[in-house]
Amino acid sequence: MKDIFFDLSVRSVRLNLMRSILASIGIVIGVVAISSMGMLGTNMQLQVKDQLSSGADTIVITADAVRMGPPGSGSTSSSSSATGITKTQLSKIKLAAGSTSKLVPVYLTNTQFTYGSVPGRGSVYGFNPDDITKFLTIENGTNIGGINDALVGSTFATNFNLKIGNRIRIGQDSDTSRPVLRIVGILAARGMSSDNVNTDNAIIVSDDWYTNQYGGKDIYKQVNVIVKDINTIPDVKTAIDTKLNTDKKTPVVRISDASSRLSGITSSLSSITTFILAIGGISLLVAATSIFNVMMMSVNERIQEIGILLSIGTEKGEVRRMFLYEAVILGILGAGVGGISSLIIGYSVVSYMIGTTKYFFLPESIMYIPVGMAIGLVVCILSGLYPAWMASNMDPIDALRSE
Amino acid sequence: MINIPLIRFADVSKVYHLESGDLTALDHISLDIQDNEFVAIMGPSGSGKSTMMNQLGILDVPTSGELFISGRDVAKITALERTHMRRDMIGYIFQNFYLIPLLSAYENVEYPLILKYKKRDESGKATAILKAVGFDEAMSAHRPTQLSGGQQQRVAIARALVNDPKILLCDEPTGNLDRKTGFQIMDILCGLHSKGKTVIIVTHDPKIAEYADRTITLEDGRIAA
Ligand SMILES: Nc1ncnc2c1ncn2[C@@H]1O[C@H](COP(=O)(O)OP(=O)(O)OP(=O)(O)O)[C@@H](O)[C@H]1O
Ligand SMILES: [Mg+2]
Repeated sequence: MKDIFFDLSVRSVRLNLMRSILASIGIVIGVVAISSMGMLGTNMQLQVKDQLSSGADTIVITADAVRMGPPGSGSTSSSSSATGITKTQLSKIKLAAGSTSKLVPVYLTNTQFTYGSVPGRGSVYGFNPDDITKFLTIENGTNIGGINDALVGSTFATNFNLKIGNRIRIGQDSDTSRPVLRIVGILAARGMSSDNVNTDNAIIVSDDWYTNQYGGKDIYKQVNVIVKDINTIPDVKTAIDTKLNTDKKTPVVRISDASSRLSGITSSLSSITTFILAIGGISLLVAATSIFNVMMMSVNERIQEIGILLSIGTEKGEVRRMFLYEAVILGILGAGVGGISSLIIGYSVVSYMIGTTKYFFLPESIMYIPVGMAIGLVVCILSGLYPAWMASNMDPIDALRSE
Repeated sequence: MINIPLIRFADVSKVYHLESGDLTALDHISLDIQDNEFVAIMGPSGSGKSTMMNQLGILDVPTSGELFISGRDVAKITALERTHMRRDMIGYIFQNFYLIPLLSAYENVEYPLILKYKKRDESGKATAILKAVGFDEAMSAHRPTQLSGGQQQRVAIARALVNDPKILLCDEPTGNLDRKTGFQIMDILCGLHSKGKTVIIVTHDPKIAEYADRTITLEDGRIAA
């Protein structure tokens, strides 16, 4: 059945097309703001969660002192002044962590190097080669065997177009001795990991080569404790804390794990999401006033017509329906265009701000489009309620007399 | 219950409460109008003619007294029932035609049928009635603004008739038309009267009033003759 009141609304919208479109643009903007902001926040959270979950079983222990800055980038051993986890602390950690946990002491500095004639800069991690396979994945090639063997991260390999068997020269051009490393393996991409070991853009060498080159033997940047059962993390943390931080006022080590960092990051991310959603909400509020305004204009221009409708036997409910249809039409127009725009704008914003759209079409992200559209439509209908009510409650005689 | 009139004003007054004081537009009117009467209401400007028509059209209810239409006291029924009486029993024809500007001539006539049956007309009734007032299909597609005054009034008559009401209320139906067109409209109304409608017409024109069986003259809200 074709409803005559719907026809009347369509014609009224058409008659004032420009005005209606302008009012709907407010809704379009509101819908786009809500959905793309919501999607941006969600994609951000999804990505961070994904990346941080890779180190969920790891406790990171660092020296709780102000570091003197990273060891010098040159070949001279300058790290002797830097503080770190000492050998005695390491054995205490080992005791406290228990036999089921795996310990990975980490040496870290950064350096200049050249590959062929191309200069570059990157992190250098020193590990006991046996530790490497405990938590890193070698995607191509083999683990470090000889003293001059090295692994490189995936981004690093791609950027410099490195292959297994290639050689890189460590240190600045001006350095007198410039050792050469041979690449024996390339690591799988790791992303931003919660255990603070970010190998994607790094060179990994054996601890022997590292201490030989940079010194600082048995003074570690950090020690990672990989527990067997994630649920024991709080207990292991307490054990390490009791063992090492004997003086509570001046703790010597800082102990952190993925979940504490994850919850910190996700809670701040979700408050950012809420904030940007609120901005979207404000734009819808503005849209609501413009819809309200247009509806009031429509009612006021049609007072005599309303008088005619009422005087020849139109029910109040039918008059109300006619004006609500008008609000719905504006809403559908705005929400429809807004939905399509959200898809395009949201996708671009997410891909630009986050760098990946792999979470974009997940339900928890894409649902912001229908949600935004629904909110836009509801806002429209709410804005139309009062004008419609006003129209239906006019006195037909007064309305007829108005010119 | 034999001689119950179609319309009975029983001591009806209508008072407008204005800032400048109360204005009595209808002053204790008592009047019966029988089924199938043709009544003309005359009187000077401001004498209460339109006010009386609004009472008859149940757009308003008396301040005091009772108005019975078809035996029902219009003040004692709900607003929705009044709306339905307006739709089903009364055809209203106005001086300014008052067609719905967004609807075509055909749709204007179809509109009361939609109100009554809650669906578009498939019976061809609207077309038939338009034809009876001299409208062909091509002209029926026009919007009111594309029609002359006489044509608009024909559409308005067709609209008033389409739900087959007992009562036709015409408030100066010829007031905005030239004499010739006015008489054409009056001929249509006469024809309807002879087919059984009760016609009540407000006019300033004694020539128009001559069509009626009975003339009621109002003066200051009272019946003078
Ligand atoms: N809605 C209203 N509010 C206040 N006063 C009104 C209203 N409608 C009519 N009146 C007053 O009631 C009186 C009667 O008015 P009414 O319109 O019935 O006169 P009329 O006989 O139809 O006049 P005309 O021939 O000019 O159409 C007038 O004094 C008018 O000012
Ligand atoms: Mg009048």
